[in-house]
Amino acid sequence: MTLNDRIFGILMLVLAVAYGWGATQFPEPFGGAESVGPETFPKVIAVVLALSSLYLIVKPDPDNAWPKGRIALELIIAVLVLIAYTLLLEPLGFILATLLAVGTLCWRMGAAPVRAYVTGGVAGVVVYLLFTFALDLALPLGVLSVLEGS
Amino acid sequence: METLGYLIDGFGVALQPHNLMFALMGAFLGTLIGALPGLGPANGVAILIPLAFTLGLRPETALIMLTAVYAGAMYGGRISSILLNIPGDEPAMMTCLDGYPMAQKGKAAEALAISAIASFMGSLIATVGLILLAPLLAKFALTFGAAEYFALFVLAFATLGGITGKNPVKTILAAAIGLMIATVGIDSTGTQRFTFGILELYEGIDFIIAIVGLFAISELLFFIEDRAGGGKGPMVVNKLKLSWKEVREIMPSSIRGGILGFIAGVLPGAGASLGSFIGYTLEKKVVGKKGYFGEGDPRGVAGPEAGNNGASSGALVPMLTLGVPGSGTTAVLLALLISMNITPGPLMFTQNADIVWGVIAALLIGNFLLLLLNIPLVGIFVKLLSVPPKYLLPIVTMVAFVGIYSISNSAFDLYFMVAFGVFGYFLRKLEIPMVPIILGLLLGPEMEKNLRHTLDIADGDWTALWDSGLAIGLWIVAFVGLVLPYIVGPILRRRMQAAAGHGNQTD
Repeated sequence: MTLNDRIFGILMLVLAVAYGWGATQFPEPFGGAESVGPETFPKVIAVVLALSSLYLIVKPDPDNAWPKGRIALELIIAVLVLIAYTLLLEPLGFILATLLAVGTLCWRMGAAPVRAYVTGGVAGVVVYLLFTFALDLALPLGVLSVLEGS
Repeated sequence: METLGYLIDGFGVALQPHNLMFALMGAFLGTLIGALPGLGPANGVAILIPLAFTLGLRPETALIMLTAVYAGAMYGGRISSILLNIPGDEPAMMTCLDGYPMAQKGKAAEALAISAIASFMGSLIATVGLILLAPLLAKFALTFGAAEYFALFVLAFATLGGITGKNPVKTILAAAIGLMIATVGIDSTGTQRFTFGILELYEGIDFIIAIVGLFAISELLFFIEDRAGGGKGPMVVNKLKLSWKEVREIMPSSIRGGILGFIAGVLPGAGASLGSFIGYTLEKKVVGKKGYFGEGDPRGVAGPEAGNNGASSGALVPMLTLGVPGSGTTAVLLALLISMNITPGPLMFTQNADIVWGVIAALLIGNFLLLLLNIPLVGIFVKLLSVPPKYLLPIVTMVAFVGIYSISNSAFDLYFMVAFGVFGYFLRKLEIPMVPIILGLLLGPEMEKNLRHTLDIADGDWTALWDSGLAIGLWIVAFVGLVLPYIVGPILRRRMQAAAGHGNQTD
């Protein structure tokens, strides 16, 4: 099968056209248009991208298999964990968010759950202490900031 | 003898205690990064860049540390080649051929020590080559005008895939994507381009975020897909018994490998993989029937190891003198320079002489440190190597998060990094190389500046781009670099595979 490269080629061709069109829509720079302006370089890139995507559509390479079933699910979980990590980093604080994110990733990669979350917790605490005391950089403490006052 | 004076000044910079300390730290981390499978040198350096920032390191210190990481990674790559027959990175492939058989014969410690010595020789030769060649090339590069620079950038992209690269069109496509991302933001005339009114995009997309996402996050996803979290069993290394005679015996091989590697590193499109390949093939030819290559000949370990370390130091020549990197890792080092507000290129040798020569001196010192680290401490690296990826990769990911977050304290950047990671995963599935994207991101602004400059002077006449003999020469090399992989690529690839396959059969 050679579908992957073809689809990617089409997507990139669409991108090249949209990008090239976008470049023609720039407002005229202050002081009037000259022979070269902000749109020159993007136009060149758009042409190069369009030509190479056309080549890919015409002469695609053989496909690599996409992951299926459980593995695909694991990948989606991993990406969701990373997004959740970003979301929770500030409200929950670095240590708790790291405990959850690193722990879940270790667990999903095959570590025993307890060891996985212990790894996450230890990593979070160590890096937090390292950053706060050795490097003098503040990482968010989040809900754990109640401990700070005491 | 002006070079010598600069070099002595360079030692003055590199020998400052805190620089020495960071060099040692970098050498240690680098060896570790090189040893761990799936954490290649480019990846490792990329993850450490944000840390260099957050530590508030001075440019020369940051560069010294990361150059030490770079050099160390080349040492580390051999550990898993020798002990497990799994190359830690691509250039270490040839080390498997004789290193693993040596380990099977109970001579793992000797193989590791020999490879450390050969790596040292290779780097040393190449660093001397760098000291001799770089100032000359920098002086020559001062004659370059805008048109020549534009052609040079095209050349860099054209040869990036390397002679052994698979599909040059994919390299171009990737470069175009990188250049496109680089145009996002406000340009030099104050025009907003592709910002869609999003405030965070006004200053453009930070290439460090893109690099860390493309490398580190996509690596995590690949490990999950391969279900490779388990890791390997414990490894044992015997007690080292290496005589001076054995060390003397591998010296000629190391010297030959180092010189060849350096040349391969300097030339565009060759790189460390080719350096180690040529190093190995030459050794086999020179030694001939007297050798027992493929069955654990120490010279078969020394040749390619010296070759790949020589090539990695050689690759610094175009990066430092022209500002045009020829490999993924040197591209990442260039990212560091640019983000430290140092304009790479020939002027750096006069304007930032202390930094350039400090780094070169640090490279020499770093090699001694690495040799000292690698022979007695190899046991520690072997132990760390048996930490399974299922613990290691999540922690590496966390380090990437912390690094990026601490640059600007913004969650927006982290989403961007994750998005680049997912994008990188798809690109790797499609076998679109990521290094041209990064190079495009880095060189985009300079490339556009030079194009505009050329066209402005010539009043919009595009032929000005190939108006001088030098520029025409660069365009021709670029063209050859693009076409050559089609002709010689398949042959070279087959040979490398045949050599590797032969080695595996003799296991």
